[in-house]
Amino acid sequence: MSLRDALTGRHKVKGPAPDRLFALSTAYVALETEHQVTACGVAGIVFQPLATSDFESIVSDMEAVVKATASDLGASIETHDDSFGYRWMVIRDPSLEDLVVAVNGVSSALVGGGYGERVLCAVFAFQGPRDPKIYFIYNYKRGSWYPFVPTAGGASAGQRSVERELQIKAQVGRELPVEPELERWFPLWGIPF
Amino acid sequence: MTPEAPIGGRRRRLYRKSVCDNGFVAARRTSFGRDTGLQARMLGTMFLLGLVYAVLIAVLFAAGAGGVLLIVIGGGLFLVQLFASDKIALRTMGAREVSAQEEPLLHATIERLCLQADLPKPRIAVVDTRMPNAFAIGRSQKTATVCATTGILALLEPAELEGVMAHELTHVINRDVVIMTVASFFAAIASMIVQFGFFFGGGFGGGGNDDEGNDILVVIAVSAAVYAVSFVLMQSLSRYREFAADRGAAVITGRPSALAAALVKISGSMGRVPQQDLRAASSEMAAFYIVPPAAKRAVHNLFSTHPPLEARLAALSRLETQLQSGR
Repeated sequence: MSLRDALTGRHKVKGPAPDRLFALSTAYVALETEHQVTACGVAGIVFQPLATSDFESIVSDMEAVVKATASDLGASIETHDDSFGYRWMVIRDPSLEDLVVAVNGVSSALVGGGYGERVLCAVFAFQGPRDPKIYFIYNYKRGSWYPFVPTAGGASAGQRSVERELQIKAQVGRELPVEPELERWFPLWGIPF
Repeated sequence: MTPEAPIGGRRRRLYRKSVCDNGFVAARRTSFGRDTGLQARMLGTMFLLGLVYAVLIAVLFAAGAGGVLLIVIGGGLFLVQLFASDKIALRTMGAREVSAQEEPLLHATIERLCLQADLPKPRIAVVDTRMPNAFAIGRSQKTATVCATTGILALLEPAELEGVMAHELTHVINRDVVIMTVASFFAAIASMIVQFGFFFGGGFGGGGNDDEGNDILVVIAVSAAVYAVSFVLMQSLSRYREFAADRGAAVITGRPSALAAALVKISGSMGRVPQQDLRAASSEMAAFYIVPPAAKRAVHNLFSTHPPLEARLAALSRLETQLQSGR
């Protein structure tokens, strides 16, 4: 934010940053072969549903398209509204590559409709040899990734293992553009998968 | 919009552009237009404030009365105000920083807003009082603290609380604490001169040196005028910052009407809840609240820090209309 924006109190919500979503496909190779972290075959994209007529039509159009392609590939898609008023599109597909493509399809449809600034993040679920769930979260505003590891049984209590997250950062840091500022590694509680 | 936007998206925008080529096309890229009028009024007020302070400085130098000393004292006060005011304010308010385990909903709400607004996470504090209110302090995004009362947490629905928190985060984004501190700085100096001036000025005046006595009287008079004028201007600046924060909240959440509902709820219950604690704490803090504590039946005029509720609701309803019509 520039001095001028601060003085005039003008504030625009950022749209998506340059796309680094596909970096996950590359990083996954190393994750799987070297660190035994495997994809759970499910991913979600989170956005703010606006209560406007054209937004709803864009979302339902997009849902139809993604559903059509998803059923061709043997994938499924569902939507959840969480208690904070955000909408999750949850996509299940055994191939991580296809998941990334599907998530990108959803965000592109929103950007194309002029609602790019409503897209929050995408979440991909993984599991490790000792971790029941490792989430990789893609922050659309910054075009960066960060790991999020709720501790076993701690997801409801709001407990995360920062140590494990930092280890994972060290493991994938070279392939994946990881968010440098730790205070922006926002947890997401109540992930519906 | 990023240059990497997919081709489909670009085509759609071009299509819109040709359909409604009325000069507002650039603004359609986001869900809301710009409020140029508000920004112009705000800049105008800042300009007038600056002008008033320039006159003050000119008179001070013309009088030559301890200019250097004044600047040293003033500078020291200014730094204290800028760097310690947030801690002092939090302490006087009785605010307590809360962890994610203590207030999971508040934390999660703010975390999602930070993701959306591209902000680092602020510290989060709670004041234990039934009065529903919220405020933000801190001179930068990194040092910001967002504070809510237990009353507001109990009163509002999640979407309404989100709107209020987005309002406070917009104060952080807009650096309103720094701007109001800077704006109030010379007013503080002027009031200091008026106070000390009466004190010392009387002695000088009787001392027989008419010239010096007159000079000091002039300085006092000008300082008093500066204080009066800058006070009014600052209050109006504060009101414009409130409008800007309401607007920012609507832009971040995409739900102007949720914030409007929250404002109605807060100001409605404000009158019913006994209001000794928050208002007694510090009247200077009033500018940072979401709704001023004394708003029950306050006369909204030149001297209030917040715009009247009706004006804020009208501005939010204009935003909702813009959003719905897709302009």
